[in-house]
Formats: sequence, structure tokens, C-alpha cells
Amino acid sequence: MPWDYSDKVLELFKAAVQGDAGTHMGELENPDGFGEYGSIACGDTLRFTFRVRRHPTDPARDVITVARYLTFGCTSAIAASEALCSLLEAQGKTPVEALKVTNQELVDFLGGLPEQKIHCSVMGAEALQRAVVDWARKRNYPIDGLLPDLAAENAQEGRIVCSCFSVTEPYLRRKIRELNLRTIAEITNALKAGGACGTCHHAPGGLQDLLNEIWGQPSGAPDEGAGAGVQPLSGAGRSSEHLERQVEAVLKNVISPLLRKEGGDIELIDIKGYKVYCRLTGQSGRCRSAPENVKLLVEQPLKEQVDVRLQVIAV
Amino acid sequence: MKHIYLDYNATSPVRPEVLEVMLPFYKEQFGNPSSVHWAGRQVSGALEKAREQVATLINASPAEIVFVSCGSEGDNMAIKGTLSALKNRGNHIITTSVEHPAVLETCAAMEKDGYDVTYLPVDSHGELDLADLEKAITAKTALISVMWANNETGTLFPIEEIGRIAKKYNIRFHTDAVQAVGKIPVDVQKANVDLLVISGHKIGAPKGVGAIYIRRGTRMTQFMHGGHQERNRRAGTQNVAGIAGLGKACELAGAELDSYSRRVRTLRDRLEDGIFSQVPEIKLNGTPFRDRRLPNTLNVSFAYIEGESLLLNLDMFGVAASSGSACTSGSLEPSHVMGAMCVEVTLAHSSTRFSLGPETTAEEIDRVLDVLPATVQRLRDMSPLYNCGRTAEGCETCETVRRL
Repeated sequence: MPWDYSDKVLELFKAAVQGDAGTHMGELENPDGFGEYGSIACGDTLRFTFRVRRHPTDPARDVITVARYLTFGCTSAIAASEALCSLLEAQGKTPVEALKVTNQELVDFLGGLPEQKIHCSVMGAEALQRAVVDWARKRNYPIDGLLPDLAAENAQEGRIVCSCFSVTEPYLRRKIRELNLRTIAEITNALKAGGACGTCHHAPGGLQDLLNEIWGQPSGAPDEGAGAGVQPLSGAGRSSEHLERQVEAVLKNVISPLLRKEGGDIELIDIKGYKVYCRLTGQSGRCRSAPENVKLLVEQPLKEQVDVRLQVIAV
Repeated sequence: MKHIYLDYNATSPVRPEVLEVMLPFYKEQFGNPSSVHWAGRQVSGALEKAREQVATLINASPAEIVFVSCGSEGDNMAIKGTLSALKNRGNHIITTSVEHPAVLETCAAMEKDGYDVTYLPVDSHGELDLADLEKAITAKTALISVMWANNETGTLFPIEEIGRIAKKYNIRFHTDAVQAVGKIPVDVQKANVDLLVISGHKIGAPKGVGAIYIRRGTRMTQFMHGGHQERNRRAGTQNVAGIAGLGKACELAGAELDSYSRRVRTLRDRLEDGIFSQVPEIKLNGTPFRDRRLPNTLNVSFAYIEGESLLLNLDMFGVAASSGSACTSGSLEPSHVMGAMCVEVTLAHSSTRFSLGPETTAEEIDRVLDVLPATVQRLRDMSPLYNCGRTAEGCETCETVRRL
């Protein structure tokens, strides 16, 4: 298997598919809480149901006693669903307390998940939230204010940012804050958004823009432009401002550190259209400003990581 | 638990006869084939023998065979070496949307360098329309690169007809034949190919060795620079043991081709018929015409379930297969081959490839048929898609599959 699953993940998965005693596969009839999350297009879906021991007078003191799931998904999605149900049944939480169960708790319960599989745990936490909302509605419990407006998100209101996985702006905004996501790669691992064609990464109003807006301008944080093995972007649909930001990021995070190792550096003078004017300084200024070196050390990485049309001119 | 290996398109074990041929080159016959002394002379003959064995299998002459380290190297060399040598001829490549990454990613890299690439579409069976190919040809087309057989579905491409078209327009023709060689007859003369790539570990030779056929008179720019090995066509001291093994594997493949392909086809058909009679709501991926498919390959999608969990489940029974599911790769998208064939996204996630080999037995196939239906049913019982009567998503979701 290419994935490095923890023993706990494999153990839960095996127990679940064998239908061992104590596993939680299934769907409760007339559940007290029902929540579904995911989409088949994304490759995983979770349907989560739970039953409570009802308190005779105060719904706030209902306690979750039974939890069940149906999951379409990979090994870790099934294991995360098992983890969710086991956690809830073992802890005897009230639905409102259950809202505080985070995807990180699921990850910890599973003994860790591969980074690119974090979204399986997010799916568990999201389905749980939706089930608690359903419980509140059935029990006439005033839950408003405890939760983001899931109904609006469910109705897919708001602009779709990542069309490959149908991820909307309100959802992204909430999750970026909730999960403290700082880079495009972190968003993709946790929410899948941006994991396919990649056009939303740097499109106006895309993932990088949302990150910049929420966390402020990147302060040298390694963003996608500096990441290794990331798909290069097509230049289409990118404003010149985005291009400039990208060029700056690659210069700062990739090229400059390389030059500094050799006692030099690079200074960005101007960007006009696809022409990047820069000055090589220090050691690199003396021995590396030959045109072929500029091409190799500066232009090539920029072409690969930002846009093939870029041209570098050393001044 | 008995292990059942049905992933021969991924790799195959080294055959005992092959290993035996290889061993002396790790011990007493250790010389460098480029050396003039006794130690070198001892091994240079082995290289030439292997060259002849490889050439015989594909009806080429030994001088047209160059040994490389793997199929990917061969494909890289064919594409980059051609485009650079034919710079004056043009900057356009024609290939298909279902090639192996060794070709697709190389083409993508060439695109970044300013080349134009046409990725021919395939139909829902994964087959090409040759009219599309002819239409794509321009005065600037320098290379046509089409695989002989698809690794995921086993669908065969009409290589001889493509060869005729390439000849008609005088365009160089490269084929990645990694999955075809050793499984079906491959004849470079009949097919009129100029460049053909073979990988050792798919046919019972070890990993780390391959070969490229370069038709006599085909101008190539050198790709790997260094010593004068392989008549200046590929620098680097040869992997003598691996090459000797590749030669032996080709010899065995040639001798057994008829009997092997008949036998493996019977077993594959037994598996295919068994699965289709026992498991409802499944889809064959690739061409339904069994004559137009590799005799050892079967690719099926099981609706409502996800491929990786099926693989791990089968693994619990000792059965090794592979999947086009996104979850088995580092990406979030299902296989580009399923996408190009416009297989619905959920079905693409559950596509499962069984690829048989010379050591596969009827008992093994029957064992798979014993465990598979119940495993599929169990996973379906777990699936919310199966439990609300929803059908798989429509074709508009193809957008989620990466378009090249």
C-alpha cells in the first residue's frame, strides 16, 4: 500500500469490514440525530446517525448512547467513521458536548493519519455537527449561535471556489479559521479543495486570496509557489498582481536561498508584463550574471513554478 | 494464508531461469564490458547475446536495440531524443490521453519548453478513432507516440494501422510497448514503428533494466551523456546481469508466447465470466471485445464502493490487485485513464484491475471468485450510496477528472 496507515487505522478497518462485535457499521432507524457529509464525486460520503438517552425534562441533558455510520470511502474514511462512533459511545457525551469533538481528536484516536487523508477526519466531524443540528431540531433545543449556519452551506449558497470538489467560499472561510489552515497544501489535505485541476489556487478570489485575506499577506510563509513537486500553474485567468506575487514568492523562497548559500542574493527591480527585471548581488552578482546563468538559476525556476512566458532580465 | 498475485501489469517476479542466467555476473564474471582484458571480454559477449534475444522477440536486428534502465527512461529518450533531433522538422507531438505517465509527463514537460502536444481522446472503450489521428497531423508534427496496450484496461491500440498512417505522412512513430511485449506478438517490421520501449520487470526479468528499439537510420539526440557505451546512444556502464536476464526473459517469452497467451486468456475469461455472473451492478472498463484486449488483463468497476477499501479487503484474503481509485495514489482524483474514457466518477473510484501472469492457476482464480462477491457485498452494505438507491453520478462530473 502506498499509504502509511497506522496500526490502529488498519485494525479498525479490518474489524469494521469483518463486522466484528463492537463495530458500528449501519444506520439507525428513526435516529435522534442524522447527518450526512461528503459527495460521491469527491470519493467519500459519510452518513452518521445516533440515538440518545432522553432526559425527561431537559434536552440539554440527553446523552448519546448509540452511534452508527455508513461510509463510501477509502480505508481511512471507514476507520475515521469507526473512530467517531467509538469515541462518542465511550464518552457518554451530550449532543452539545459532542459538538466539541474535533477532527484532531479523531486523528489522535486513529494514531495519526497520512497528511493527505486528514479530510477523512474532517468529514467525520462535519457529519457529527449536522447530526447534532438534526437532534436539536427534533428536540426543540435552541442551538443557534452554537454553530455556523450549516443550512446555508448545505444549500450550497455562496460562490463555489473549487469547482472540482464543489467547495464554497463560506465553507472555506469557516474551515480555514477553524482548522487554522495556513497554506494551500493544508487546505487541500483537510478539505480536498484545490486537489484536482489547481486552477483555483491563484485565481482571483481563489484559495491564496482567501488565505491572504484571512491571515494577512504572506510573510514569507512557504506557499505553493515554493513547494516541491507542485503542479505548475497555467497562466490563464491570473491577474498581473497575482503573477507578481507569485514571482516574488518564488524569488524569495526558492531562488534567493540558493544564491545566498553561495554568498550572493537577488533583488527584484520591476515586473512589466512577463518581463522580470532583477539584480544579482554579492558573489552571485560577480560570477553569475552571465546570461546563461541567469536563465538557469532564475528564469528556469520561475518558468517552471509560475509561468512559462516569464522572461528574466538581469540589470 | 496463501498469497494470490494478480498484479502482473505492475510487476512480475524474476523467473528462476532468468535468475540463473544472471548470477554469474555478480560473481566470477564481474568485468566491465568496455574493458579490453579478459574480465571485460568475458561479459561483452553476454551483452551481445542478450541484444540478439531481445531483437528476435520483436523482429528487429540486434544493432537496433539499446539497453536502458527502465521503461520510463526509454520513453523519455524516445520523445526528448526525437524532438531535439528533429527541431527543424517541427514542434508538434501527437499522443493519447491514456498513455502511461512516462509518456504523458514527458510530453507535459516538452509543452513547458514550448512544444505543442495533441492528446487524442479515446471512446468509452478506451479505443482511438484513427480519423482523429489523421486530423491532428500537421506539417509541424515531428512525433506520434501511442502505447501498444494500455496498462490499466489492457485495451490494444491498432499499432499497425497507426504505423501505416505515420509512414504515409513520413512522421516518426514511437510506441510504449511495455505491457504488450511478452503477452502478444510484437513485430516492429509489420507495425512500422521507429521507436519501441520494453521493460524487463514486466516479463520476468528484474527491475532496473529495459530496452529501446531504435530503427536503423533514426536520428536521435543523445539523452544520457558520458562514455561510448551502446554505440554512443546511451552512456553508462551496462547493467550486465540485468541485461542478461532481460535477454533470457525475452527468449522464454518468445518460445512460450502462443501457449502462454492461450492459457492466461482462458484463466482471465474464467475470472471475467465468474465475476460478471456473480456480482451485480458492475462495469467492465476497457474494450468488451476480448480480442482487442491483453489476454491477461481485466478491469472492473464495482458500483457504490471505493477501490482502495476493496483492495485492502482482498489483501486480507491474500489477493493482490490494483485500483484506479484516487485513494490509492497521492492525488485526489481517480485515474486519468478512467477519466479519458469518461467513466463515471464513482465508478472510476472503484475500478479494480486484475492482471494475471504465467504463474496464475485455475485454483487461484476460483479462490478469488469465492471471496470477491461477499467482499463486494459487505462494502456495499457499508456504503450510504448503496443504501439509498442512488445511482452513480452523471457524466457532467467528468470535470473533476484532470483534463490534460
